[in-house]
Amino acid sequence: MLRFLAFRLARAALTIAMVVTFAFIVLRMSGDPAQIIMGADAPPEAVDAFRTAWGLDRPLWEQYFHYFGAILSGDLGRSMRDGRDAIVLVAERIPATLALTIPALLIKVGIGVPAGIYAALHRNSLADRIVMVIAVAGFTVPSFVLGLILVLVFAVQLGWLPSGGQESWRHAILPIITLGVGGAAVLARFTRSAMLEVLGQPFIRTASAKGVPWRMVVTNHALPNAAIPTVTIIGFMVGSLIAGAVVVESVFSWPGVGRLLVVAVSNRDLAVVQCILLLVACTMVVANLVVDLLYGLLDPRLRSAPRQATA
Amino acid sequence: MARITRRAALGATAAGTLPRFAIAQADQRPSLTIAVQKVSNSNTLETPREQSNVGYRISGLYAEPLIDTDWIGDLSARPGLATAWRRLDDRTVEFDLRSDVRFHDGSLMTAEDVAFSFGERLFGTGPERAAGRASVLAGSVGKEPPAEVVAVARRSFPGLQGINIVRPGVVRYVSATPDVTIEGRIQQNVGVVHSRAAFAATESWLAWARKPVGTGPYRVAELRPDVSLTLESHDAYWGGRPPLRRIRFVEVPEVSGRVNGLFSGEFDFACDIPPDQVAVVERNARFEVLGSPINNIRIMGLDQTNPVLANPLVRRAITHAVDRQAIVDALWSGRTAVPRGLQLENYGAMYLRDWSNPRFDQGEARRLLRAANYRGEPITYRLLNNYYTNQVSNAQIVVEMWRAVGLNVQIEMRENFDQVTARTPGRGIRDWSNTSLFGDPVAGLLRAFGARTEAERNGEWTNAEFNRVSEALISSVDMAQRGAMFRRLLEIVEREDPGYLVLHQAASFTAKRRDIAWRAAKGWPMDFGPNNFRLGA
Repeated sequence: MLRFLAFRLARAALTIAMVVTFAFIVLRMSGDPAQIIMGADAPPEAVDAFRTAWGLDRPLWEQYFHYFGAILSGDLGRSMRDGRDAIVLVAERIPATLALTIPALLIKVGIGVPAGIYAALHRNSLADRIVMVIAVAGFTVPSFVLGLILVLVFAVQLGWLPSGGQESWRHAILPIITLGVGGAAVLARFTRSAMLEVLGQPFIRTASAKGVPWRMVVTNHALPNAAIPTVTIIGFMVGSLIAGAVVVESVFSWPGVGRLLVVAVSNRDLAVVQCILLLVACTMVVANLVVDLLYGLLDPRLRSAPRQATA
Repeated sequence: MARITRRAALGATAAGTLPRFAIAQADQRPSLTIAVQKVSNSNTLETPREQSNVGYRISGLYAEPLIDTDWIGDLSARPGLATAWRRLDDRTVEFDLRSDVRFHDGSLMTAEDVAFSFGERLFGTGPERAAGRASVLAGSVGKEPPAEVVAVARRSFPGLQGINIVRPGVVRYVSATPDVTIEGRIQQNVGVVHSRAAFAATESWLAWARKPVGTGPYRVAELRPDVSLTLESHDAYWGGRPPLRRIRFVEVPEVSGRVNGLFSGEFDFACDIPPDQVAVVERNARFEVLGSPINNIRIMGLDQTNPVLANPLVRRAITHAVDRQAIVDALWSGRTAVPRGLQLENYGAMYLRDWSNPRFDQGEARRLLRAANYRGEPITYRLLNNYYTNQVSNAQIVVEMWRAVGLNVQIEMRENFDQVTARTPGRGIRDWSNTSLFGDPVAGLLRAFGARTEAERNGEWTNAEFNRVSEALISSVDMAQRGAMFRRLLEIVEREDPGYLVLHQAASFTAKRRDIAWRAAKGWPMDFGPNNFRLGA
């Protein structure tokens, strides 16, 4: 187990180092933060002064090693826009994002998984087809289109809900629905496929032939075996909790991490972008680790596989 | 157990209701919510850090210069925090300060505040004042202004020797060199007056820049970076009681979000409306769109160092091949104007009324291309994705106009200005704009072209005679001579050795509730002063 964890952690550290390097190169090669942050009208002297103040006039490799060294010592840097600690800026936005993504995740799991199971258990019925049509629609309509449609209907036409902003809980309803619908559709499709595959397995036929009640066949035999692909998708969704609402936050003017990321990237505010990427990478790595551990919990064969292999 | 009687319940209800009613009675002025694409680029409100349309829009609401601009009218100078001013000599202007101006913290404005605003606030105090280096981290530590603030201040007031206090209520702006544009420079929002005492009491430059204490009709209540800015009425405003209790600027990056929020009643105003959305908004009878040409001119830069454009005849052909009015009619529904070259009517004595752009003449363009022996060599046009309003549509139209005379211009999309102006092979044509911060060529043309300007530093365009004449114009105090020099500059940069092609004036459009009587400015600033807001129109 220790070796398993150590391997996973080393892989995670390498992944994060690559993310940091890649982001640094892409951001720094694609634009000068001084020119972007100071604006097109800024006098050249001001742009030069900004570059000097932030060390942007030094060779790129020097900037990179300086930055990487700072990260290793726990210093994620400061925002070039206003000089505040990048980690503080990002931390301020996390609650707002989680206020959308956690309820949305509950919607995804709460609607998507039961809908997928129901559709699989009623394969080729009218209910199955309706569920799948809705799932395909929810899966294929981009979130910004769905968001705008919801705004037009519920904010502009009916006037029931606000179109954007973050003043009250009512402002969160439309973005949560927008985020939740797409994810629920994905989960419904995956759950259905997984269930159908498991339901066609010989052990399901055997259990039924032995006289095990159908409900128990489904809950004790089919569901745990079908859970692995579903858990993988849910793990991915958990990993996206921090930065999985970039588009929706922009559509609904929701001041979360996603919008901060958009602003930081467009301004080439390197420290803030890196801080968010690190956070996302860490979340994703942790989510993957948890998913890996859950695999073993769900499927005893995976737990014993390494032992058998080394035996 | 306590028993709630009907009488007690009514009494409690009344007690809970009456005070609120009383408060409402005390201040019945409306509050506004305004949707904007961006509240502040730098997440600060200090004007030297916010030198863009975003900053120009709001700065006048909380801070004012000594000489104001008639933004609603003809952009002429008008008394601001100074009631009068007079020239003492070529280098000195004396100002009489208003005696009844109160800062947002309640203190009276003094001559010392003016001296501070043009001194310590912009240039710092310490031994490292010259470089502004003491505040490497954008002013988050200490109170020295960031280096870029010092640079902007130097650029805005290049010859400033100091503000001399003559006596209480009278100050002198002294320039080290002769300068006829001192009054114009004073109109810039970099030179707004802030409270010296409030600055002294703040913990850092950044904290100050987030909540500066000025004299405008509204005081800064809260700036939530990238989210919103809340301004509250400054009831002791010298110009009269502001008509609004509170103004809240909300950042809504998407146009659709701003328009939908307006329609749903969440916003009273929606700014940064592109021309193609004007009809969409006005289809709804409850709303209208206001806007007009502003003090910003859209141009296209022509790079002298491009192998094809190195021949001025090709650049001249480019300027003759564009039908500017057709662009204004097609993309702007005629709601902006084609200026007479890179100048605005508020230049006063410096405005050349008889000047004109190279005329739209396809025959002349073809003739020039033949004379240049141009054989269809490709010319690169680096384009941003709608950084400027209608930028991509405009580019596509212009490229077709050029194609019609035989020019082979290839669009290359870029992500930011740094990529556009990068000194890499292929740099040729690019979009640009030029804002005249006050009424003089020094504030417009000569900010972008001439010695040590962006065009020269980027290595895009330079001309020895232009540089010589522009230096002479900057230091000249003879208006007739300056006018002649300005004409010569335009002849060089627009006709003989074109450095740019003038397209049209930019225009700013703001959607609003039709029942609000409000006039839009002829520039970026939004005016919600005592004389420019009324409900029930």
